[in-house]
Amino acid sequence: MIPVLLRCVMVAVAIGPISKPLVAFAEQECTVPERFYTFEPSLKKTPRALASGGQVLIAALGGASSLGVAAGGLEMAWPARLGAVLAEKFPSARTKVVNLAVARQTAKRAVERLDRDVLPLKPTLVIWETGTMEAVRGLDVDEFHETLQAGIDKIRAAGAELVLMNMQFSRETDAMIHFEPYLSALRELSDVNDVPLFRRYDIMRHWAEHGSLDLRTKDSEKRRQVAARLYGCIGRAMADFVTHGDPAAKHAPSPDIGR
Amino acid sequence: MPASRANCFSKIGVAGASWIYLMTAAGRNLAVERDLRLDFFRGLALFCIFIDHLPNNILAAFTLQSVMFSDAAEVFILISGYTAGMVYSRVMEHRGFLVAGIRIYQRVWQLYVAHVFLFMIYMATVAYTVGALNNALYAEEFGATNFLGEPGLALVHALLLHFQPPFMDILPLYIVLLAVLPLVLAGFRLRPWPIFIISVALWLAVQFDSRVALPTYPGPDGVWFFNPLAWQALFFLAAWLGWRNIHGGVSWLNHRWLFWLALGLSLAGFLIRFNWTLHDFYDPIPVPISAKLLWPLLSKSDLGLLRFANVLAVSFLVSSLIHPQARFMAKPAAWPFLICGRNSLYIFCLGILLSVLGHLVLNEFFGGIAMQFAVSAAGVAIMIAVAALLEWLGATHDASGGSAVGASTARRGARG
Repeated sequence: MIPVLLRCVMVAVAIGPISKPLVAFAEQECTVPERFYTFEPSLKKTPRALASGGQVLIAALGGASSLGVAAGGLEMAWPARLGAVLAEKFPSARTKVVNLAVARQTAKRAVERLDRDVLPLKPTLVIWETGTMEAVRGLDVDEFHETLQAGIDKIRAAGAELVLMNMQFSRETDAMIHFEPYLSALRELSDVNDVPLFRRYDIMRHWAEHGSLDLRTKDSEKRRQVAARLYGCIGRAMADFVTHGDPAAKHAPSPDIGR
Repeated sequence: MPASRANCFSKIGVAGASWIYLMTAAGRNLAVERDLRLDFFRGLALFCIFIDHLPNNILAAFTLQSVMFSDAAEVFILISGYTAGMVYSRVMEHRGFLVAGIRIYQRVWQLYVAHVFLFMIYMATVAYTVGALNNALYAEEFGATNFLGEPGLALVHALLLHFQPPFMDILPLYIVLLAVLPLVLAGFRLRPWPIFIISVALWLAVQFDSRVALPTYPGPDGVWFFNPLAWQALFFLAAWLGWRNIHGGVSWLNHRWLFWLALGLSLAGFLIRFNWTLHDFYDPIPVPISAKLLWPLLSKSDLGLLRFANVLAVSFLVSSLIHPQARFMAKPAAWPFLICGRNSLYIFCLGILLSVLGHLVLNEFFGGIAMQFAVSAAGVAIMIAVAALLEWLGATHDASGGSAVGASTARRGARG
């Protein structure tokens, strides 16, 4: 295990277009039904830039689950997997995914970091994974709502596209953490601001329902492997999500999307 | 339902007073004609609370929250406050402050024991799943809160109502509100205005300053989901109405404009909220009045203005339009609602326990909409069955006669 502080320091890691898949994925394991991809309106700039071979910088904000802690490291985290899939799918585009996640970060801290760490990079797209720390600690849900609204306004004012991502689902913790108020705050913010919401919670619930990616094992090595596959699946689903709805992107070769 | 409009308005005339028990001359035999609406709508609220608590439950789209800004929680707290105000102030008048206080604290104790019992179930679940399986996905965040590392401390915080895991946030609210009730009722008798002013001032303070909240363990910065400093306003306003009711009602509630105001507010609430519900189902449906606009007034934690006003308006309307012994409540179909509402304390605690179990079942076996229906139906059936048993027990108790009768009816009325 890497100490927490060290993990917080190694936040910015760029994934170049040449990185190869590190884990072999069983594609049938994590198909995502179409209903999880529908939102209005979809992203425009990002899929267009990917399809036309432009430069695409994606900034990932989030917590421990975006750092790939359970799978053993950053190169296993979903932002890295997303970068790899996009690079494979759009070889002509110069895609770069910057992982700016910090373990145990609240939305409030993330918003405070926007000006310093995120927006100066001039990202094409910001993917903001949030809500976990608030739900686990039981922080004020109205304040969470206000903070996110401020963050959304700021990111949009800077000209970046935005995708929100909600929490992880796991059978064990679902009865332990009161997710619903925070999930519903995210749904509502996504709706009133027309920000696409990547419903990781519902997608993972769907996978759990179909018996795939079960982390409930005492064997820690096995668990690490399942977590790595899980993050790979999230990365691929996200690649699908950000390019969804754009006809140009849809017709691009998609070698590994198991839908 | 009243036969004509004129009749309906004469009912408005007793809107406050018609939320009633009619008293007999004998002090001991308290309840003669029970206001069935209190039982019926409290039963309805209890079913809604249970259904809303199940994860991913499609049926939750058909409960009160889809047509009102407020939801079953407000209805439950309002009716409970009203009933408690009515019943315990009567006890206070006949038997004195001490007896009423003891009666109320008996209730508080029962709720507290239920709370502790739920906490044991919670800890057992946690110890089993996290302890045995070493949860990977949330290891980091749980590490930050670390209540597994210090179960002793977590236990102390739960006993102090500091620690409020999922589903364990409503009981603490209810406990705290009831615990203060003796003083508030005494205040109503001596001097209602200071109580009123303090109550409203606290509610306003919560609306304008988010720091006015109670902390929770493990924190830092965690707060009670139901802020009691805001929710007390609804509970004690209802308690005051209940208290006034046994003293001849509230005359200004008779004004006709109040009825139209309540009608307007309820209708506006319905149109706006139901539009959002439809929009959730089918995204292309336009939303003329955006949630973004009204959001600051819709806080559930802080009992935002629109939620507060909406529940008052709707309950005023219901109390005006529906007779206390309206015929539909005598029909067999209404019986499950009535008995659950009448035994609300037990059924409320049972409902929360069933929510926890239903949650575990649905997240273990999933099973789609059919399973959601099955679990919802099973839970409601269990609630009705237990309420029926309690009714039966009460009836045999009453039949055994003696002084138990007075105590039993008083207790039944006191199920607040």
